[in-house]
Amino acid sequence: MSLFIDIPEDDDQLPALNTGRGKLIWISSVDHKQLGIMYLWLALFFFLIGGIEAMIIRAQLASADNDLISPELYNQIFTMHGTTMIFLALMPALIGLATYLLPLMIGANEMAFPRLNAFSFWMTCMGGFLMYFSFFSGGAPDAGWFNYAPLSENNYSSTAGVDYYLVGLILTGMGSIGAGLNFVTTVLTLRSPQMKLNMLPLFAWMIFINGFLLLAAFPLLNAGLFMMLIDRQFDAHFFIPSTGGSAILWQHFFWAFGHPEVYILALPAFGIISEVIPVFSRKPIFGYKFIAASTVAIALLAFGVWIHHMFAAGMSNTVNGFFAASSMLIGIPTGIKVINWIGTMYKGSIRMTVSMMFTMAFLIDFTIGGLSGASFAIVPIDWQLTDTYYVVAHIHYVFLGGTAFGIFAGIFYWFPKISGRHLSEKLGKWHLWLFVLGFNMTFLLQHVLGILGMPRRVYTYPVDLSYWEVLNLISSLGAIFMFAGIAAFLWNIYVTLKKPRQADDNPWEAWTLEWATTSPPQLQNFTSLPPVHSRRPLWDLKHPDNPDKKLN
Amino acid sequence: MLMIKNFTSIFWTNTDASTNQLYTYFGIAAGCILFLVIFFTYYFSKKYRAKQPDELPEQKEINHKFELFILILAICITAFFLIMSINTMQQIQDIPENPKPDLVITGHQWWWEAKYPQSGVLTANEIHIPVGKRILLEVNSADVIHSWWVPALGRKIDMIPGLKNYIWLYADKPREYLGACSEFCGIEHARMRIRVVADTEEDFKKWTESQLEPVITQATPLFDKGKALFEQKTCTNCHGINGTPFSENIGPNLTHFGSRKRFLSDMKPVTRENLKEWLTNPQNVKPGVKMPNFIFNPDEIEALTEYIYNLK
Repeated sequence: MSLFIDIPEDDDQLPALNTGRGKLIWISSVDHKQLGIMYLWLALFFFLIGGIEAMIIRAQLASADNDLISPELYNQIFTMHGTTMIFLALMPALIGLATYLLPLMIGANEMAFPRLNAFSFWMTCMGGFLMYFSFFSGGAPDAGWFNYAPLSENNYSSTAGVDYYLVGLILTGMGSIGAGLNFVTTVLTLRSPQMKLNMLPLFAWMIFINGFLLLAAFPLLNAGLFMMLIDRQFDAHFFIPSTGGSAILWQHFFWAFGHPEVYILALPAFGIISEVIPVFSRKPIFGYKFIAASTVAIALLAFGVWIHHMFAAGMSNTVNGFFAASSMLIGIPTGIKVINWIGTMYKGSIRMTVSMMFTMAFLIDFTIGGLSGASFAIVPIDWQLTDTYYVVAHIHYVFLGGTAFGIFAGIFYWFPKISGRHLSEKLGKWHLWLFVLGFNMTFLLQHVLGILGMPRRVYTYPVDLSYWEVLNLISSLGAIFMFAGIAAFLWNIYVTLKKPRQADDNPWEAWTLEWATTSPPQLQNFTSLPPVHSRRPLWDLKHPDNPDKKLN
Repeated sequence: MLMIKNFTSIFWTNTDASTNQLYTYFGIAAGCILFLVIFFTYYFSKKYRAKQPDELPEQKEINHKFELFILILAICITAFFLIMSINTMQQIQDIPENPKPDLVITGHQWWWEAKYPQSGVLTANEIHIPVGKRILLEVNSADVIHSWWVPALGRKIDMIPGLKNYIWLYADKPREYLGACSEFCGIEHARMRIRVVADTEEDFKKWTESQLEPVITQATPLFDKGKALFEQKTCTNCHGINGTPFSENIGPNLTHFGSRKRFLSDMKPVTRENLKEWLTNPQNVKPGVKMPNFIFNPDEIEALTEYIYNLK
């Protein structure tokens, strides 16, 4: 058929899905789809562990002067909750979706470096399990996910927990660097020959930019982690002030990584939202160029805002003022993206699927997280509210209300492609409403707790402070709803995977290339590709009379 | 109404008017933006809900003028808040070149050491300041990073080992002000709370003088036994008492301990019962605390309590 063009294929057959027998083949697989699925399972596993830790935290804080768990255990649990959710749940979920979808979206059959891809996954996996092994070796890390020195140094943290944290994160960090390299190279070298860079689907574009962020941010973290490991194992003094080191140096390393990390977790979610909203509004994204360009702006600015995590550390007004300006600046492209997404819905023809409903929950809750984030750029407000429950509320609105809602939207959207089966919309709505209501119940009031003066990372609080107890109790009750929501999600996955495959190749009538192949795709993603002349090749194929503007 | 007033009074009585103004402006701006986002998300989802299953809207991509308008609006709002915050920062944080602090607070795991360089008073946990006067506070740390935060008295500032940080404190009413350590500092971070007593000028002077007086010694036999035990059981290796040869500063200074209202960084009121419970096993009262369990027998606890409780 002349309408379709052949795509080049590797000569070597790589070990994958159909080249061997039995479940063990997954371990040696270098197929990006299998690796993507394994990333997603890993993320789900650690999301549940992190969720159980969160439930323990909320149970302990449900009443004042509670002694359900000891302070030592509480500190280990909140440390592991943060570390797990960020490095072992959200990141693998996003990297997993990207690993699965990136080649499909750009019309390729594999990632650029399939073996590096497998290496990245297994490093992440091993790093995660190694960190959890600390529970069996005398105590988990207990200095917070941010692991501030000198509290994390030998003098103040005598168990091996922090060492497990350091080595575990070094491993997952190496995995992430490999993934970043793979994303960038794949987009640059393996696009379908007709697809120019300005025709990438927005999810692929965000993953491309995210690749650069991973490549630049994680070496900073790993350098810091290695320095602290040298401190702890070989008695060096990088971060120990009493022997000539600097306590604040660790904070610079950590946040110079940590802030780009926020965008590493946000950009792919933005990408998912930018795919889901147009498809379910039945019209192209409002302002492709703006969304794509503002992503680059965010990625560059992300490396120049880290001091806003340290406004209370006592730096001069000049330094703080500079970083206040850059932090406010980064809010502009992020904020306008929200308007682009709402603009996409304007005069559309909206299909209210669970996926679309999650993106709408994202729009509202991520805006709350964005606005509370903007308030930290106003330094005098930050001087009051940093390190209080206001920040706890803020990060959860960004990472749960933002990233996690984005991931849920993406899972419901791509599940038919990945598994060949549709998740139940009915169970999906239970999941959605329980989770979204529980989420807002838990975290909205935490803004107020912060304003009332409740510091973060406290294992308990005195009984005689007005409204603390009732607000904390409501917050804890909300967590139960979230837990029920996740139970509905698990049940949904279970019953769906029991059913036979029934999904169409393109059930949502979407327009990007991953929907041009079978559901699920074969080992070789594509034998042939439709012509690519615009950002919506499948639209052009279906509507030859009204094609999008030709871009090549 | 009273409830709401009560609710906000804890925070909004912040004596710093310009920060409060920033809060108000930001609250209004954020509230408007959030309202618009919620409204349009909801309204569009209702108004543009698909009526037929295969309905296709016009494939319009973007309105450039609208996009530009939003961009300029966002830049204006941002510029406004940037100028406001920088002005306020300079008002709050105008620390002189060579600061001479009125009060030096050192954070310890998990208590506060307070030194008044001008009068020479050295005390712990119960911090007094005069009302109606800006106090220059120097903070640092003896071990890990802590953070000083009494919301109604001023900004938050980290206490970093090896560094000196300065802020201004200001109390407008003679009352007690609550706060807490706001940087995670280990096991008992949660119990590292602050209570600052703001006195009138006169009361503050009186308090200072009484702190400078030598410890009153009551020569009852039990008191003397307690004193002997205090020295013999190595309490003095950590705790200093002015006017005795012991001036170690590893644990809280206990001079005039009996005059304090609360102890263990604001955890409990100073009563004989609480003191006995503490001496019986500190790890039961505040798990993880640096003071070990000395396994005193009841007679010793009685004597030590008598001694410490009467250090007035």
